[in-house]
Amino acid sequence: MTGIGAVFYRDYRQRMTNIGFVFWDLFVPLAYLVLFGMGFERMLGGSVAVEGRAFGYTAFLLPGVLGMVTFSVAMNTSWGFFMDKDSGIFYELLTYPITRPQLLIGKISFNVLLAVIGSVLAVVLGVVAMGAPIRWDLLPLTAAIVTAATAGWFFLFSVFAIKLARMDAFNTVLSAAYILLMFLSSMFYPLSDLPIWFRVPAYLNPMTWQVDLLRFSLLGVGSPKTLLIEGVAVVVFAVICLFLAVRALNRAD
Amino acid sequence: MTVAIEVEDLQKVYRTSNGGVVRALDGVSFKVPQGRIFGLLGPNGAGKSTLVKILSTITPHTSGRAAVRGFDVARQPLAARQQLAVVLQQTATENLLTVRDNLLIYAYLHGVKSHAAHERLQTVVEEFELGSQLRDTVQELSLGTKRRIQVAKIFMLDAPVIMLDEATTGMDPLMKRRVMDRLRAEARQGRTILLTTQVLSEAEELCESIMILDRGRSMASGTLPELRKLSTHMFRVNLLFADTNGDLVSKLEALQPVKLQVDGNTVEMVFQGEEASLLGRLAEISRETPILQFEVRGPTLEEIFIRLMKEKG
Repeated sequence: MTGIGAVFYRDYRQRMTNIGFVFWDLFVPLAYLVLFGMGFERMLGGSVAVEGRAFGYTAFLLPGVLGMVTFSVAMNTSWGFFMDKDSGIFYELLTYPITRPQLLIGKISFNVLLAVIGSVLAVVLGVVAMGAPIRWDLLPLTAAIVTAATAGWFFLFSVFAIKLARMDAFNTVLSAAYILLMFLSSMFYPLSDLPIWFRVPAYLNPMTWQVDLLRFSLLGVGSPKTLLIEGVAVVVFAVICLFLAVRALNRAD
Repeated sequence: MTVAIEVEDLQKVYRTSNGGVVRALDGVSFKVPQGRIFGLLGPNGAGKSTLVKILSTITPHTSGRAAVRGFDVARQPLAARQQLAVVLQQTATENLLTVRDNLLIYAYLHGVKSHAAHERLQTVVEEFELGSQLRDTVQELSLGTKRRIQVAKIFMLDAPVIMLDEATTGMDPLMKRRVMDRLRAEARQGRTILLTTQVLSEAEELCESIMILDRGRSMASGTLPELRKLSTHMFRVNLLFADTNGDLVSKLEALQPVKLQVDGNTVEMVFQGEEASLLGRLAEISRETPILQFEVRGPTLEEIFIRLMKEKG
């Protein structure tokens, strides 16, 4: 078994011991789509305009829900480092004959699979129950964005999970990240109508890049030039965060 | 002679949160030939665990050099780790998984193929008496059993170098004995073993060479006979008296032993000084209270250790 394969298997075995975690990752975003989406669709009177096209709020929210899936899966996976610290296995893992990137990539691989399954469920629910107009031809691109984004968020959160000694401090970081990164982005509302002080940090937020890309792959909207920049930015963000997480592991003492 | 572990002028400096500097290792050097059992002794905070963490590539060192079977731990960490099976000081098990998964996943993570891992599993489970707990989740098990699983894991591999940081802590005496026997057997087959311990009798029994660390510095190193030479005027006397009534104990105390232990008619004393003058004074005592048995031996590792610690203050 390769290093990544062995870590993948380890995470699979661990995650399967707690179905609650898996349920949380897969179904909570669906609840957002149904409850939040339906509520806002009614309140807004039916549609949201993006790039001159009108969408039902549920369709508009669907890419954001996929963003939420990647975010939740990444948070829960990085939280696993605290479980490893708690059981004492964390430092032992660092003595195994696998590279630090292999450890991180192996750890997220199984969970990327979960994120893709969660995304497929959300898309199916969005189409079947809520009539979202999906670009089926771009589904592979959607899967690729979900993969890169989940990995990027996981690598970022891992830096904190590795460096912080206290679980309550890590939970505070995650809570702050949840509020800031999700709400200060294009996930729930179009940014064009918002004040400049809101828009500037939102455009610098990787969640915005990711949701914009997903909005293109799912609904076919977005400016090609902006999307290209955002696509490169998502990949660069993931690579930089991987580098930082590897560095944190190398200095884990 | 193939060198399995080589440490040269190793330094590790930590910066504390209040801006202070802690020198956890300060110019430590040693070599461990292949197939030998090497012991690192020292009190808490001596730097033993830091050394194991550096050798197993968890912690980077500040300066100097450390290599495992020729692979520099800083420059070739993966190659160095490929030589190692490590038991760290803190208990390390996958608590959510079964005992079986713990052993198998450890093997997989070390590149052992599935078929070979399953074959090895049977032997290890029998040897460490884990058969009845194989399907149990580890978090339900006692601390001693978790420790047993942690040590059992290293025998799922054929790594040429084994490092154990106070590995037998929390183990029952029978299992401890079994692990020690197994380590000796592994060394005979060419595996190199580095262990840290505070149980000096364990090191005395197991280790072919020893280094005593204190506050990050090597205080003494060598084989046990070489360490005994450091205490040339220290010796242990075991005596069996016909009886220990009367003022025998006060007479023995007057000899000013470093240690005096009376158990029935048996007396054990440790002396620091000239052997000849002491024997003369013991002969005088024996005229009043006959000595039935008499034995003079070199100091134990514990006595050497305590003396070195006292000298260091």
